[in-house]
Amino acid sequence: MDLSTVKERAGPRQFGPTDDMPREYREAATRMIQFHANSEIMGAYIERPFVRQAPSLDRKLAVSAQVQDEIGHGQLLYRAAENLGIKTREEMLDELAAGEGKFLNCFHYPLGNWYELPMIMFFVDGAAMRRQATLKRTSWEPYAHAIDKICFEEGFHIKHGEDILRELATGSRRDQELLQRAFEKWWPRILQFFGPTDDQSTHDDFSQEVGLKTMSNDDLRNAFLNAYLPKAEKYGLEPPEYPRVEYHEDRDHYEVYEEDLDWDEFFTVARNELPTGRGQIDKRRRSQDAVAWVREAIETTPASGDTPAAAD
Amino acid sequence: MATEDTDTGPWSDRGFALGGPDELSEREQAAVEACLRALADDEFVLAERYTEWQVRGPTLEGDLAVANIAQDELGHARLWYDLLEDFGHTEPELIWERPPEDFRHATLVERPFARGDWADAVVRGFLYDEFERLRLDALADTEYPRIADRVGKVQGEEHYHREHARNWLERLAEGRGDPDNGHRRVQEAIDRLFPHALTLFVPTAYEPDIVEFGVRPAPLSELRQAWLDEVVPVLEDFGFRLPVAADAHPEAVDTLLPTARGRDGEHTDAWADLHDEFTFTYRQLDRSEAPRLMVDPDDADEGGDHP
Repeated sequence: MDLSTVKERAGPRQFGPTDDMPREYREAATRMIQFHANSEIMGAYIERPFVRQAPSLDRKLAVSAQVQDEIGHGQLLYRAAENLGIKTREEMLDELAAGEGKFLNCFHYPLGNWYELPMIMFFVDGAAMRRQATLKRTSWEPYAHAIDKICFEEGFHIKHGEDILRELATGSRRDQELLQRAFEKWWPRILQFFGPTDDQSTHDDFSQEVGLKTMSNDDLRNAFLNAYLPKAEKYGLEPPEYPRVEYHEDRDHYEVYEEDLDWDEFFTVARNELPTGRGQIDKRRRSQDAVAWVREAIETTPASGDTPAAAD
Repeated sequence: MATEDTDTGPWSDRGFALGGPDELSEREQAAVEACLRALADDEFVLAERYTEWQVRGPTLEGDLAVANIAQDELGHARLWYDLLEDFGHTEPELIWERPPEDFRHATLVERPFARGDWADAVVRGFLYDEFERLRLDALADTEYPRIADRVGKVQGEEHYHREHARNWLERLAEGRGDPDNGHRRVQEAIDRLFPHALTLFVPTAYEPDIVEFGVRPAPLSELRQAWLDEVVPVLEDFGFRLPVAADAHPEAVDTLLPTARGRDGEHTDAWADLHDEFTFTYRQLDRSEAPRLMVDPDDADEGGDHP
């Protein structure tokens, strides 16, 4: 299929492994899905300490299940990306370990304590949900299929995140203060979650033309703010004065003053050069290296034996 | 061999020597509590250690499987702690505010994992799960109805754990990676963990009552012999060396026991650190209750609760 046919036919779940897709399409789709898969893995990575630190048995179970779900999403997405014939799962995992794999800006920052957890589990996951919901209509069918399952499970995570948020927001004065502090710390990162405004994003146009993306970064961020600013308010959280966010009623649009955000830091993050993000990548690589011997041992195992339980 | 269906369903046709939680004598209650504490603490602490493998597993699939098992064990801990709550204890008293020396788990489950030591997780799982099967089989004959109600659910899930452990054991034992890496590491894990596994069978002061009242009719000494008969030949068949023969004299087996035995409240150093870590947020939040998200086990249908 040539590129102009792709653009002509582009629509929800339009293309799959049986279609002969041009290299440009397969590369763009791989980049997008690999980014998503990497983000699931690194998101699981920063949440993991809170399995141990959860303050009740039920919360411990819920956080453990959530971290597991995210690894499962990663597994599913790498498979969907593999179908495009550009990279194998091993190559993508190796790139992640080598610091070459890109992933969401928010997961380059460590989570300091329990008060910060809902910033990820409610706001960032909520933002991710906004984006993912639109990807049910992406043109690469295996991706859309993975998204169905991801959105279903993500719904539980956000509910749990909101429950933690509610518990802290209705707790002691001190709880509320620490929660507000966590919110102020994370808010600019959350605004940057959707990336720079449309005119600055390099891959956006092509992805939209071939139906991989169905909504622009700017529209997604606006939809997120529409839904989540009222929720923040409901839990007594006040966005900091800067970065300025202004609501224009006539257009039902939130204007984010981009100049108030630290884009140097954002692009440092995007290059995998933020020290905290670098630290996460390196820690993950070391723990993966430490079990390389297991992978070697089982690759050469003469005995049969099923692969232990897969995700789905 | 003739098999007979022993699954008689909701125990309705079976009389129990012990009554419900409100009908026990002081001594009976103490025996039930001691039995439950060992059960609940073993599962809770084992799960706590297993979760360390989340995001660190050797493959994405291995990662998912160990997370499953950890959550099963946490779910079981929850079932058993819930039976302790029958006696008026709360979750904070049972876990979050309990001093480390009051926990009654065996030292096997508290030992830390060295980085990348998947063989430890596999061997620990194998030694523990075989013990767990025997303990649950014994508890299926309990005279305490509240325990009897829950044994079946736990047994169902433990079956998968045993399969998982044996499967990995086989793969590592027969793997031929860089010079017999798998085999050597499994052997080292056996050498290190076997004495700690024996603490699973260390009786507490309540053991005579636990057996006499039929909370768990089979004594731990009997379970230990059955366990040795099971695990020693399996491991030897894979070519591993064990510090005792399956038919060794009990006193000879006893000499292998480590100094800290867990069941009496004496733990290894790693336990204090672990306890400190998992109570961190609870203390930071300065709470006196632990939020419940899921329905009470008594009201829950079989399976089904996605957190």
